[in-house]
Amino acid sequence: MSELPRDGPPTPLPSSQPSQKSTTRAERREIQERQRAAKAAQKQQQQQGQQQGQASSSKPKAQNAPQKKADSGRPRASSSAVPALKDMSGAASGAADSEGRGLRIFSHFGLPKTLGHQVKGDIHPVIIRLGLQFSEFKICGANARCIATLTAFKTVIQDYTTPAHNTLSRHLMTYLSPQISHLVAARPMSVTMGNAIRQLKLEISGSDIDLPEQDAKDALCQKIDNYIRDRIIFADEVIEDLAVKKIKDGDVILTYARSSLVEKILIRAHALNKRFSVIVLDSRPLLEGKTLLRTLTSTTPPIPCTYALLPALPSLIKEVSMVLVGAHSLHTNGAVYSRAGTAMVAMLAKEHSVPVMVCCETYKFSENVMLDAFGKNELAPSKFSPLEAPKPHSNLEVLDPLYDSTPPTCITAVVTEVGLIPPTSISSIPLALGKTSL
Amino acid sequence: MASDPQMIASQRIVEDLASRLRRRQVVGSRQAALETLLVLRQVVSRARFSNVDQLVDVIRSVGRRLVDAQPKEHSVGNTVRKVLHHIREEYHTATEGSTPAPTPTFSIAKFVSQGQPRKQQTVQKTDVTKVPLKENDPDDPDSFARTLKPVLMEAIQDVFDELETVYDNISKNAKDHIHSDEIILTLGKSQTVESFLKAAAHHRNYTVIVAETAPSYGGREMAKSLSSAGISTFLVPDSSIYALMSRVNKVILGAHAILANGGMFATSGSLLAATAARAYSTPVVVCAGQFKLTPLWNLYHEYGALDFGDPSTVLGFDEGDLVDKVDVVNPYYDYVRPELLDAFITNYGDHPPSSIYRLLKETYDDEDNEL
Repeated sequence: MSELPRDGPPTPLPSSQPSQKSTTRAERREIQERQRAAKAAQKQQQQQGQQQGQASSSKPKAQNAPQKKADSGRPRASSSAVPALKDMSGAASGAADSEGRGLRIFSHFGLPKTLGHQVKGDIHPVIIRLGLQFSEFKICGANARCIATLTAFKTVIQDYTTPAHNTLSRHLMTYLSPQISHLVAARPMSVTMGNAIRQLKLEISGSDIDLPEQDAKDALCQKIDNYIRDRIIFADEVIEDLAVKKIKDGDVILTYARSSLVEKILIRAHALNKRFSVIVLDSRPLLEGKTLLRTLTSTTPPIPCTYALLPALPSLIKEVSMVLVGAHSLHTNGAVYSRAGTAMVAMLAKEHSVPVMVCCETYKFSENVMLDAFGKNELAPSKFSPLEAPKPHSNLEVLDPLYDSTPPTCITAVVTEVGLIPPTSISSIPLALGKTSL
Repeated sequence: MASDPQMIASQRIVEDLASRLRRRQVVGSRQAALETLLVLRQVVSRARFSNVDQLVDVIRSVGRRLVDAQPKEHSVGNTVRKVLHHIREEYHTATEGSTPAPTPTFSIAKFVSQGQPRKQQTVQKTDVTKVPLKENDPDDPDSFARTLKPVLMEAIQDVFDELETVYDNISKNAKDHIHSDEIILTLGKSQTVESFLKAAAHHRNYTVIVAETAPSYGGREMAKSLSSAGISTFLVPDSSIYALMSRVNKVILGAHAILANGGMFATSGSLLAATAARAYSTPVVVCAGQFKLTPLWNLYHEYGALDFGDPSTVLGFDEGDLVDKVDVVNPYYDYVRPELLDAFITNYGDHPPSSIYRLLKETYDDEDNEL
């Protein structure tokens, strides 16, 4: 912020891009405030105009409805400015600078969170601990994070007591929401966590009011256990059975990074005495493939493995007989949101007519459509960054997106617990839509 | 012949470069081309010959020696071919007076078999044409060499100058290829691309995304260099190329060697970037000096056509428990098919991949394809 005292030249056109560079941060903030105020005022005027138009026909009761809308319009108008302001406070610590065109394109990426030491409100210690584990990437991966979250919520629910003049089914969720937002503050929520929490909310609101508190809590914990068992653990076992059938003797299986499910499938196939070899591809920022490599080579006899980084893929793809990858989530249009790099592996495999199998439990289904991974993504925290933090105001910035989305055209089949299905068919599976009870 | 001190001296130079090539002490196509040219200049200046065929043989044997030392450094062979081409051209110009050149007739068939008709008439070396060239003169075997050598030196100097200015010539049209507010993706460290982007930055305000290109991570250096030149730069891991490709306007790559079919060898990772670009219909532009044109085909992309590097950069010895259990692969180059490329920007202008073979015909003589 050494710039601040210096007076920038007066800017004739506050909105023109090049001149923005020369203005100081304070000035820019001022401009933003002004624009926001102007926008809000405009909105207000429009609303008033509407109001006047309607006034003749509407009853007096309807009169405060547009007023309310105008109020809610204000935060909407300013919502675009809020992340920018947040960026600036982040930039003050030296990581990023909001100057230049670049950051505005990438600004919607979830900025790597600085550690959630500042605890707001009544957060259960288990959740605080989990939040730290999330933000430090000690617990990483869609399944692991979902199981950890649900297990932590069990503790939270057991430690919860309904306050007087309240019922558990109505109050427990208000108690849980700050816990959830604390986890989200530590790291953006995974689709799996979102699905599980939605189901949990449903169960909480549906729990019997007349049940004694301890019984209701036990019932909820039981349901959480069932969810973990049915949707994750049993599902994984079924997927293992299905996927192992596709592995034949002499196959060369290529996998990218590390999926807990793929790891289990390979170990199971090895235990069934199938003779195959594995190519583990890997890439920064997380280099998770090394962990997978360690597991695969620790079997007896070790599975023959080849390890390479992503750019080496074109040289290896000719030998591959099947690509087996995991997923973070699966979307209605069949796009698979997974660890960054998966899309390129699938793309090249398709080009060489190598089947691409995505192993994915149905609870990873998300009802959104995902067209590309640019709109929604997450950046790896700076501890995975290759360079020492670049100087503020330098033109260099380091971006480490964690995910990308594989278009359905590159995927041969998705292995789910309900069978091998084409990626676009996931939305026709009732289980994926949460049509079963927890 | 071997007792000739001149020959021994030039042999020593050749051996020196050959061993440095073999030990990879000379890396980078331009560096290799420059070193080769220096050696050839020495060899030509010391060679004794009484007709042009003897000279060609000497240079070819030197070329063979160097290419065998490092067959994957294609610019070595290319430089030798180019020098041979110039020698023949100078020879033809010099002997033009004695044997009347056949009047050039243009036809498609001739173009395919011989390439572009040489513009011999335009090059008029007045002082040379006046001295009659005497080949195989029994009285004075050195007279042929004596008359031709100055011209040859000049020709080699031309090649040398071309190599020296290659970056400037490639970059001079940079602003026609990069427009304001574009997002350019590039990868690895290529000096050609670096100077191209920096030249464009004088005229345009744009953003570069640099993929760091594991395991050499040359992209990090590249990103540092570009950002210090005032270009807004983003450094990303290779894995995110696909995720970011939807916002990229143009992919600019460097090449290791441009092949006769319009494909190229380039840093590993290039094929992934080019394929991802194709998925999003993003144009792929290759910046390369003309010395990278190689009369070579790689249609089937054999595994052996690759060059493999040190695996310890992929999986270091700090992962001791893994090192002896797994195979580690670290290829240097990718083969990128011509269908994935849109344009080559060379110091001779911009070319689509489909006209690379024509450039090759113009640049080298067919008989030199096998050295």
